[in-house]
Amino acid sequence: MYPQWIYIQFMATGTVFATPLTPAVFSILLSLAEGEKHGYLIMKDARSPQGGGIQMGPGTLYGSLERMRRDGLVEESGSSDDERRRYYRLSNLGHAALAAELNRLDAAVTSARSLGLLPHGGQS
Amino acid sequence: MTKSFSQNDRLIRLYTFALRLYPTHFREAYAPSMRQTLSDALKDSSLSRRTLIPLVLRDLITSLAKEHLTMLRDTFARPSLVFNALVLTALSSGLALALYSIPQQVLRQGANDPQIAMAGDLAAKLEQGIAPAVAVPAASVDMARSLSPFVIVYDDQGHPLASQAELDGKAPAPPAGVFDNVRQHGEARISWQPVLGREHGVRIAAVIQRVQGINGVQDGFVLAGRNMREVESREAQVEQMAGLTWIGMLGVILLGTILFGWYTRPRSAGESME
Repeated sequence: MYPQWIYIQFMATGTVFATPLTPAVFSILLSLAEGEKHGYLIMKDARSPQGGGIQMGPGTLYGSLERMRRDGLVEESGSSDDERRRYYRLSNLGHAALAAELNRLDAAVTSARSLGLLPHGGQS
Repeated sequence: MTKSFSQNDRLIRLYTFALRLYPTHFREAYAPSMRQTLSDALKDSSLSRRTLIPLVLRDLITSLAKEHLTMLRDTFARPSLVFNALVLTALSSGLALALYSIPQQVLRQGANDPQIAMAGDLAAKLEQGIAPAVAVPAASVDMARSLSPFVIVYDDQGHPLASQAELDGKAPAPPAGVFDNVRQHGEARISWQPVLGREHGVRIAAVIQRVQGINGVQDGFVLAGRNMREVESREAQVEQMAGLTWIGMLGVILLGTILFGWYTRPRSAGESME
């Protein structure tokens, strides 16, 4: 009934997650796709051009992580001995949301290429 | 190196202080991690202070606003809480409306009491053949000032035949439609605002009855009325009390919703682990 990129429903959690994702959420998901990470590593990845080029401070980072944890996109995987560094990883729902967002972006880039807005086979 | 460490410590101390501005549950859950993240960022030589400090300041301001708004939304905009508040508001509004409308109706209906009897008595006298000028008491009532009940007799066309009351020295008559209604139903009980060339701001609780055989020859009407000033004053008091009761109930609902919302607010990961 709806295009896949609009709603992804996961029967296991009953959660409906809508795309497009916010830039911060997308960058965090992209960073955690490599594996579990703590706050500053996520911030650093997000800042890099490959990670979305998002300038994110600790407040935005942990605010987003809190909401993503509540939405079931990420899980806390542990913390450092002194509990100041928290480690996060993607949940199944997070993986699926990231894949849906990447598909959406890919479709947009393909469309832009067909309209001649981006060079064919070039870096987008 | 020492200077750099000391500057870092100072920045972290300032940031730690600023973290107190976040909502309690968020601060308790994430303040140590946020401090650690800033500390990691300060140690990262690839990130200049000139970039980091404005970034952290901007982030502090925007995320503070966002977390407080989120806290308010999570605490008070939950569907169950809003639904309960709306149901209670609807109930209290209905109750306040009843508190106003029931006494208002009782007062308004009560305002007709002497007129019902007076109109009936006068109609009976006229139907016995007593002339209107004799049946209607002589004492003149100023409709604009007096609270005394009065009677007026009209012919079949609605022209006054005899009147106990005056307004600007004349006996006023209700609109023709009222007489038509009485012809059909025998009686009408209305709130009448007489107009004699101008609005007088006078409202009359009037009972009008059909009479047959006035002076033995024609049908007509009798009207018994009374200035509603006192009744309207009591109605205004009832309205004021019902309004205050409504505002009080809404205040209690608002306070209860805030307290209930606060004590049942969703807890963060840090809080739930405690």
